[in-house]
This record gives sequence, structure tokens and C-alpha cells, in this order.
Amino acid sequence: MNTSLRKLATAGAVAALAVSSITACSNDEAAGGGDKSLEIVYWNYGPAAETGNKATADAFMAANAGTTVTLTPVTGENWGTYYANVATLIASGKRPDLMVISGEGAQFVHANNLVRPINEYLDKDADAKAITGDIAQGLIDGFTVKGDVVTLTYGWNNMVVYYNTDVFKKAGVEPPKADWTWADFEATAKKLTTDTNKDGKPDTYGFTWASNEIFPGIMPWVANANGNLTSDDVCSATADTPQVTKAVSFLRKLITDGVSPAPMPMSDVFTRFQNGQVAMFGAGRWPIGTFLPAGFKAFDIQQYPKGDTYKTVFGGAGYPILKSSKNPDLAWEYQKFTVSEEIEKQYVGTPEKPGDSIPSRRSLAQTISKVGVPPANSDLYYDSIDKQPTLVPYPAPAKYSAFESTVLRHLQLIFAGEASVSDGLKNMQGELSSIVTC
Amino acid sequence: MTERQAPPAPGRGATPGKRKDGLAALAFLSPSIVTFVIFVLAPTLGVLYLSFYDWNLLSDGTFVGLDNFERLFTDERLLRVYGSTVYMALAILAINVVLGLLLAVLLETRMPRWLRGVFRLSFLFPFVVSAAAVALIWRFLLNKDLGLVNYLLGGLGIDRIDWLGSSVWAPISIIIVNSWKTIGFSILVYIAGLQAIPDQLKEAAIVDGANAWTRFWRITFPMLSPTIFFLVVINTINSFQIFAEPRVLTQGGPGDASRTIVEYLYDRAFGDFDLGYASAIGITFMLVLIVLTAVQFRFSRRWTFYE
Repeated sequence: MNTSLRKLATAGAVAALAVSSITACSNDEAAGGGDKSLEIVYWNYGPAAETGNKATADAFMAANAGTTVTLTPVTGENWGTYYANVATLIASGKRPDLMVISGEGAQFVHANNLVRPINEYLDKDADAKAITGDIAQGLIDGFTVKGDVVTLTYGWNNMVVYYNTDVFKKAGVEPPKADWTWADFEATAKKLTTDTNKDGKPDTYGFTWASNEIFPGIMPWVANANGNLTSDDVCSATADTPQVTKAVSFLRKLITDGVSPAPMPMSDVFTRFQNGQVAMFGAGRWPIGTFLPAGFKAFDIQQYPKGDTYKTVFGGAGYPILKSSKNPDLAWEYQKFTVSEEIEKQYVGTPEKPGDSIPSRRSLAQTISKVGVPPANSDLYYDSIDKQPTLVPYPAPAKYSAFESTVLRHLQLIFAGEASVSDGLKNMQGELSSIVTC
Repeated sequence: MTERQAPPAPGRGATPGKRKDGLAALAFLSPSIVTFVIFVLAPTLGVLYLSFYDWNLLSDGTFVGLDNFERLFTDERLLRVYGSTVYMALAILAINVVLGLLLAVLLETRMPRWLRGVFRLSFLFPFVVSAAAVALIWRFLLNKDLGLVNYLLGGLGIDRIDWLGSSVWAPISIIIVNSWKTIGFSILVYIAGLQAIPDQLKEAAIVDGANAWTRFWRITFPMLSPTIFFLVVINTINSFQIFAEPRVLTQGGPGDASRTIVEYLYDRAFGDFDLGYASAIGITFMLVLIVLTAVQFRFSRRWTFYE
């Protein structure tokens, strides 16, 4: 397509089609103004993202005199829509040096030829070995696509079960142990489901999960049933296998047995958990960024119960260098800086101001429990990736946004009881077969 | 005898004064024209252009002719989504036009001034609040197992309703929430229309012995018909374009039960990165709305009365 015409059409079409807004506070002059300038795009999911990115950029500029870092916050209701908005930004002519991505985005940036792999830097840079030696192998594998290392991971989250210690105490239920099974889990959840006002309906539920994301939703169950939603090469969908069927059937049974409420988005889960209406839910480390500032400390974590196997489901984030970067060497220095001790300390945080993800550097992550940031079982965060098998690769194809929305749409029907598990997964598989391709 | 001079050709022999007036009119209109060109005409032409391409935002596009338009006829989901959109839009339209009129008439009956102020503010307040913020609160209230609405209904002996998770109730929830949010605007416009009806007409009808029902049908309704027509057109366009409520409340689900065309279009563009197909949906949807509006204008002549 003629480039200038395409840009003109894009400008018009994006204005007409984009229902979501892109909050672009970038400074073009700074981005292209010199050899020591960088432009960075990040997902502005909330105040923590803004302050964290600003702190890192400021620290980098202080440590590297004469450099200019321009931050471009981009909105999005989840990682998928964030990528869509970044794509819109790039299509309208923006040429960032680095962009924040999650593990789900590794395939996307690689497949769209947006990223400059860092293999060469890892081989040549004298600091690289020390850095990668302090990062769990799973976090490097999670960002490797067809042999290309897309980025170093600065922070990550594994999926664990949060439990409300007050609700457990009130129900006289022992906290879960690391070796619990699906049967133990179900029995525990049933004991925690109570009808305190005696109206014949529960007002405290044993467990729930996020309805709007698949990683803190169904993926830990699918992984522990020894399944996945895609093949190992992430080139075909595997949504209707017996393993996925087993995991989804288990979750649906929790709803039909009245142990879990109708699924709800993650932000609603946080509130229900804090006020004791839900005793357990699954997420990464990010809920503590909401819980602790709100003064809520009556919780702890445990790994997901074991099914036919146990695998840690995790997701990370990094700043890959984009091919559009005019200054890739400086961009590599920035990427390295994001995993430096100085910066990773912010992900450890303090009891008053906790980090909202786990530092990728083992040496830093192991200090979380020492500085007293709740929950008590914080060591589990890093241990789960160092000492347990992991779900790699991510079921995150290049068309991740379409993939996730298709999975969630069919799960809605299954969990609402409007489609049987087998029919729902069969339909899901049918649609995914044209989305998950290579 | 003086010769009659031929009038100057339009635009040619305009006097300096008329030319000045024309320039002044253009100057006054220019902000609207510029805004229209930038925010309406250019994006529309851009979308039309893209609808002939296969383009994913990041790669070079490929000209595909009418392929994207042909896909519209084989897309089963699109038909389903049109169905749910029409269902929700017509219900929202009916509620706004009929219930809005009823509430406006009630608000114009005799009552203490402060009470009228309270009612008017209550109805208008949701209209000025962000749709996404409103939907977030409603999502919390409408949760099947832990929401306040079902808790209150439970007190009346009504079993829990799956407001957001059932194919039957999810679109109804969207209709309720959107109508709750938008009806204030309809009421406001109706009140302005009602207040413009001369009191002498009603007083004369009372003297002639007309009861309240006759006065409404013979005086109020005909005099209000231009207002009703305006609200039908505006509410049709707005209700077909709802996005925030299904996005936040139900994510269009379960399945596609509460998905709207605008949401579907957005997902094709920014979920699938299928800009060409999304543009084709946008163009055809715009044509549907234009045809609907034209039909409304055509039929309005039969029932709309202007003084």
C-alpha cells in the first residue's frame, strides 16, 4: 500500500475506529533529538506503573549523564489491548526504542518483526553472565522465541492461591499445605463456603478466579492437569484435549456445587476477598499492591494444588529493544539497568510500599521475606520457579488478544451452564484453529 | 422609458456588501467545517479506503478489492451480533422515548418546587457520569451470588438472577443500565418541549370540557411530535452505538449474547488487527444507520406536526 496514503488513511481510520484512548504524552523532539535519547512505551495500568517507570527512567538519566529518556504511557484494559494500542501508535508513525511487554507479548513482537533479539549482547557484554546467572532459567526461556532471546525479564508473577486467614480461622480450617491435591482443595473450599445469614444461599464462597484473564483464571488448573491451550511450538490450538476438559470440568463443578460464585473480573475479586466474601482466589504478586496500602494483611499464599502433575504458571515483563530504535546500544544499557540491583529493589518494596511483582534477580527476590513485606509465605514466589517445573512456553500466540478473547468468550458460556464443557471446548478449538498458527 | 436591467447572475454580480456577508458567514461556519472535515469526513474516507485492504497495522497492506465486504455475508458471528444489537437498541429506544415521555409528563405535574428539582437532578445525574464508571458500579451490584440487587430481591423471595452470566439476562442488564444512564437526557428534552406548549391551548381545551387524556392526545402529543421525532432519531443512533456498558458489564457475553456491533468492530480491529475487515463492518454499519434515519425522516411526515 502506498505509504503516505496508508498513513493518511491510518490517521483517519484510527480516529474513527479507536474506541479506547491512547494516552500518549510523548515528546517527539526528545525521541529523535540526539544520540543519547531513548523513547520508551509502557502499559499504564495504574499509578504504580507510572511511578515505577518514572523512577527507573530518572535513575537511568542520573546514572548516565547527558541521556534523555522519554516515557510514553499507553492504556489498555489488559496486556492484549495494550499491544493493540501500541500497534496503533507504531502505525501512526511513532518509533520507540523500547516497549514494555509481558511473556504473552514475546510471540507478538517476534512474529511482527518488531524486536531486536539480545543474543548478541548476551554473548558480548561482560556483565551479561552475572545477570543471567542470577535469573531463573524459566524466566529466560519464557522470553525466548525460536532461539531468539527477546528481552531480559525485570519483574514477573507466578500464579499462587491467596487465602484469607481470618476466614480460615473463623471456619476452623487449617491453612493449606504445599503438597495439597485437587481433592484437598475441593474439601477445603467446601468447608469455607458458608451461609451465615441462613437464607439458604452462601454468603462466603470457598474459591473464585478471574473471568477476564486466562493466566490467573484457568491456566494453573490446565497446567496441573498436564495440559496446555497450545502445542509446544505455539503453532496450533489444543483446547479440547482430555487434560483441558478435566481442568475446566473441575472449575465448572465448583460453580454448580455452589463452592464458587459466578466468575467475575479480577478487580471485583480483590474487593470480595478483602471483605471476606471469597476465601481463596488465584493471582500473581500484584494483589499486594492493592491489599497492603489498604491496610489489609489477613492473607497468605500457597501454591496451586497438585493435579496429575504440578507446574508453576508464570508471566514476566521486560523492555525489549525494538528494531525501530535509533540507539540500540543505549537501549541495551537501559534494559540491563532495569534488572540492576538499584531498580529491582523497587519490586521488593517495603511493608508500607510493596512492589507489585517479583524481582527477576534471585538475590533480590530472596530479600522480600527478610524486609518483612507480607505475606508470610513470600519465599514461595521465587522458589516456585527455581524448584518446581514450569509451564513453558506460554500459550501465547502472536495473535494473543484474539486468542484470549476467544478463550474467555467460550468459557463464559461453559461457566454460565449454557454450553457443556465438551461442546464449549470443541467450539473454542474450532475458532482457535485459525488464530493459533505459525 | 427606462430599460429594465437584467438581474446580475448569481455569485457574479454580487455587491461588495453581499460578498462581505458571504465571507462573514464562511468565517462563522469555518470552525464547524474544519471540525467536520477533520473529525468526520477524513476518518470516514480513511475507513472507506482501508476497507479495500488487508492490513494488520504493522505490515504493508494488500489491496483486496471487495473481499472484506464479501466476508460480511459469511460471518455467522456478525449476524448474531447484529441481532443482539438490534434487540438491545430497540428496547433502549422504546424505553427512552416512551418511559422518558411518561416521566417528563409526571415531572411537569404539580409538586413542590424542591421535589421537582430533586427528581430532575436524580434523572439527569447518571447522564453526566462516565459510562465506564457507571458500568463498573453496576457490575458489582448485579453480581449473581454476591451482588446487592440479588440480595434485595432475595428479601422479596425472588431467586438469584444471573444478570451478567445468562444469555437471557445479560442483554436485559445492558438495556437497564444504558436506559438508566440515558433517560435523563430524553426527559430533559421532553420537559423543554412540554414547556414550549402555550398554556392558552390547554386552558381553552379545559373550558371546552376536554379531560386530561383528550388534552394529551389532541394537544400535547401533536405539539410535542417534533420533539419526539428528534428523540427517536438521536436515541436510535446512540443506542445502536453502545460500547462501554457491554464491554465493562459482560464483555459482550456470554458468548455474543450482549455484544454490540461497535464492540465487535473494535475487537476485529484491535484484537485481531484486521483493520480492513473492521473498516468494512464500520462502513456497512454507517450505511445501516443512514438508511434507518432516512426511513425515520420519510415516515415522520405522517405524524409530525410543525406550527
